[in-house]
Amino acid sequence: MSETTSKSIREDLTQRDELSLYTRIANNPRPFFKWAVPMLVLIAVEFPTYAGVAFGMLDAVVIGVTGLLDAAIGLVSSGLSQTIRDAQYAVVGVLRDAGGFVDGLPTLFSREVIPNQGYQTGPNGPWEGTFLGLEPAYAWALRATLIFAYALFTAYWVFRGWLVYRDHYREADWTPTDDIVDNLSNHQWGKFGIFVLILFLTMAVFGSALGPTTVEQNIQSPYSERINYFNEDTGEVDQVFPGDANFNSKSKGSAEFNVGPMSYDDYGRFHPFGTLTNGRDLFTFMMGGARITMIVSALAIGGAALIAAVFSMFSAYYSGRVDLTILTTADGVVSIPRLLLLILVSAVFANHWIGNVLNGGFLLAIIFAFTTWPFLWRAVRGPALQVAQEEWILAAKSYGQQPRTIMRKHMFPYIVGYLLVYASMSTGGIIIGLAALSFLGNGLGISPPTPAWGRAISMGQDYVSGPSWHISLLPGLMIVLLVTGLNALGDGIRDAIDPEAGGSAEGEEAAAGGGG
Amino acid sequence: MSKTTSRPQSAAQGDEVLVDVTDLKKFYGGEGFFAGPPVKAVNGVDFTIKRGETLGLVGESGCGKSTLGRTLLQLETPTEGSITFDGTDVTTLSGSDLKEWRRNAQMVFQDPESSLNDRMTVGEIIREPLDAHDWKTKQERRERVLDLLSAVGLRDEHYFRYPHQFSGGQRQRVGIARALALEPEFLVLDEPVSALDVSVQAKIISLLEDLQEEFNLTYLFIAHDLSVVRHICDRVAVMYLGKIMELGETEELFQDPSNPYTKSLISAIPRPDPTDTTRRITLPGTPPSPRDAPEGCPFATRCPAKIRPEEYTHLDEDVWDGIERFREVIRERSRMDLGVTGLARRGVGRFSRFDDLEEAVSDLFEGVDVPEEVRVHIEQAVEYAKKGYPSKAREYLYEEFSSVCDREKPKFYETSGTARYSYCHRHANEYEDVDPVISRRTSDE
Ligand code: SF4
Repeated sequence: MSETTSKSIREDLTQRDELSLYTRIANNPRPFFKWAVPMLVLIAVEFPTYAGVAFGMLDAVVIGVTGLLDAAIGLVSSGLSQTIRDAQYAVVGVLRDAGGFVDGLPTLFSREVIPNQGYQTGPNGPWEGTFLGLEPAYAWALRATLIFAYALFTAYWVFRGWLVYRDHYREADWTPTDDIVDNLSNHQWGKFGIFVLILFLTMAVFGSALGPTTVEQNIQSPYSERINYFNEDTGEVDQVFPGDANFNSKSKGSAEFNVGPMSYDDYGRFHPFGTLTNGRDLFTFMMGGARITMIVSALAIGGAALIAAVFSMFSAYYSGRVDLTILTTADGVVSIPRLLLLILVSAVFANHWIGNVLNGGFLLAIIFAFTTWPFLWRAVRGPALQVAQEEWILAAKSYGQQPRTIMRKHMFPYIVGYLLVYASMSTGGIIIGLAALSFLGNGLGISPPTPAWGRAISMGQDYVSGPSWHISLLPGLMIVLLVTGLNALGDGIRDAIDPEAGGSAEGEEAAAGGGG
Repeated sequence: MSKTTSRPQSAAQGDEVLVDVTDLKKFYGGEGFFAGPPVKAVNGVDFTIKRGETLGLVGESGCGKSTLGRTLLQLETPTEGSITFDGTDVTTLSGSDLKEWRRNAQMVFQDPESSLNDRMTVGEIIREPLDAHDWKTKQERRERVLDLLSAVGLRDEHYFRYPHQFSGGQRQRVGIARALALEPEFLVLDEPVSALDVSVQAKIISLLEDLQEEFNLTYLFIAHDLSVVRHICDRVAVMYLGKIMELGETEELFQDPSNPYTKSLISAIPRPDPTDTTRRITLPGTPPSPRDAPEGCPFATRCPAKIRPEEYTHLDEDVWDGIERFREVIRERSRMDLGVTGLARRGVGRFSRFDDLEEAVSDLFEGVDVPEEVRVHIEQAVEYAKKGYPSKAREYLYEEFSSVCDREKPKFYETSGTARYSYCHRHANEYEDVDPVISRRTSDE
């Protein structure tokens, strides 16, 4: 390289206060703006949705954390725990207000902009109240398609942001991460996993706009507002409570009591997945379930991964007695039957309000995190032990680096890949576990009427062979798809981080030139 | 020749001593009720390193030289003994004192693949010691990294590269730059070139020499290869099984080694001169396990100059060789784990695993006329071992055939006026000198 580059590197490194990203962008703003402006637009059109999700999560975190503190401190001093509860009410109140406010803001792909609920004015008359007078099915399909397309594009654009950073603003022209990303982007099966994950995340985030109706109107309070429909018997437009309409739209496994997938009921309501045994819309139910499932499994696997990462690094770094203690603890945890623990904890907290956080999901997440970490720990302990043997760890010790920093800087980057692989694969187990609990019912799992996938399967199990097959089968297929997708993602990451398996990353021959 | 000492002193008294190691021991394991005997990686070592010099530490792999280097830097806690650095006993340091001291003593590692974290850029790697010690300001740290890069022959633009993008030699340069970051006085070079191509080795060695000159560094240069050491070291210590066997000025030690072990090592270096008549001494067997080191001289199981017991001095070389090899076989058997079945069979007198011993004996003594006085003992030992008691056989042989080399630890003898020390009984007045013994014994072959 030329003399001048060398000089400017020295200047860059030594004259400036901080080698900030900001200065680098200021020097060459074009690529950044070409990426950032569309990104802002993408966020802006759905901002209230994102803000709502964020407030909802904050809300759950605040309640969850204070709840745990409350339960722990309540044992010691009831006065302190009262203070905690007061603080919690205050914070949650603010969050709920904020949440209510953003809820009222318009979004681009909402049911207000592209409505699908309407009624016919005559036997074959035009549709009233739907988007451009389209049939509800088409209006709904249009909205759902737009939302999925928007979500996929936004995900791509976020990735694109990384590419822009890499090509224009990163100091290093190559990093080991580049290889991993390249490997992953050549991995069809892994990309399928990412696609499935984005699909389900979209359902979790945009669930309320995706359903042909809302959880609120169709499931939670179906007797608060009437809807219009064309009454074929009287030939007039009548009004009915959704609850009453549901009563007459049940899928009960016989020819006259069934509303199958992709069909209308007698009230002009379109059901993409058909109805449940109680006449509620299965698709809306599934979308509502997606959010709670994704949140609970994310919390559970996140917690488990965090514990596993910390413990595996402790095991490897300190080995000996520390390792043995963790091993014993892990074996102890594994030996507790998970179902028994769930039943016990559910019973103990049945009347404590913490059992109601996230409709019981918070407690489930904690239990799943608690029972899952030993498996993750076992899986990443090996790689952690391997890294601990590397000489750079010894080198770091030789200049007196703190153990904490050594673990974070010199060990964690090498186990995070394995952690991702095993975490994405174990998430499938958690999702199935959650569904299984809801399937069992009896106070286990997410408390009704909040939608839970397992409950849909359980409702339909008597009708599996008959016209109402959809009630069990479709939710089952969705779970299978998600679990398969997560496994695919895990496979993809594993092949991407393991150069032996990837094959192409091998042979990074010295390209730096000079010296040596 | 007769001057003995428990520990070698530095001869040139004018030179200032930087590192002073006294009776250093590092054992692994061996604690706890069920643990076996400890691994005596470093088993009582004494030496000094003068400021500005390069001391070579040579030995086969597994002799404890790397452990010694790491213990010097307090990366391992010594089991016993003291390490004085510039007047302070560093074995007693801890916490922030230890961290502060670490600035003075750094290490260059053997494997450039493993010594650099390849998820960090070269700049971050070299800067890390500075960050860990909160050295000056951020800009000054970066400036220092750039200076270090050029000091080790790398360029500014390498700052943002990753180790993956470098060759082995360049990676080793990065490792050296990192070791120099905190301006240490003392560097432990743990086989710094043995993982590199021969063509690159010379460059790295001369870089190390230049840096020593420039920054007034003191080196402990660890190597398994004597020839590398010859170019760079002022003095050399030869290590075997946790003990220093010989210590002295490099050139002298190469020209005229005193200790039987050093002699055998040097005889193994290929010589370009065909007229050189020095015989190559091939050592039998492998070094014993550091878990089961001989009681006396560590080299006693393989030494070509080993002193024989009085009663057996008249035996033929071949017979004596056979006896030593047979003892080696029995030692090996005694280290074996017999297992539960083995013990059970022994209990009922049906132990058969060592039935091959007779064959081994006839192999060892093939074509050799074994006198009756020896034969009875060998047969008795075989008998013990075959019954399942190899340790008893081993002890029996020890009682019968052990000499002063097996039983007593030698002393350090000063073997020349230039502060050369050798750890061997043969330097005592009552025994024959090493050279004639070796040439007599090897010429018989
Ligand atoms: S003490 Fe005996 S065994 Fe050891 S080196 Fe000297 S002669 Fe050989």
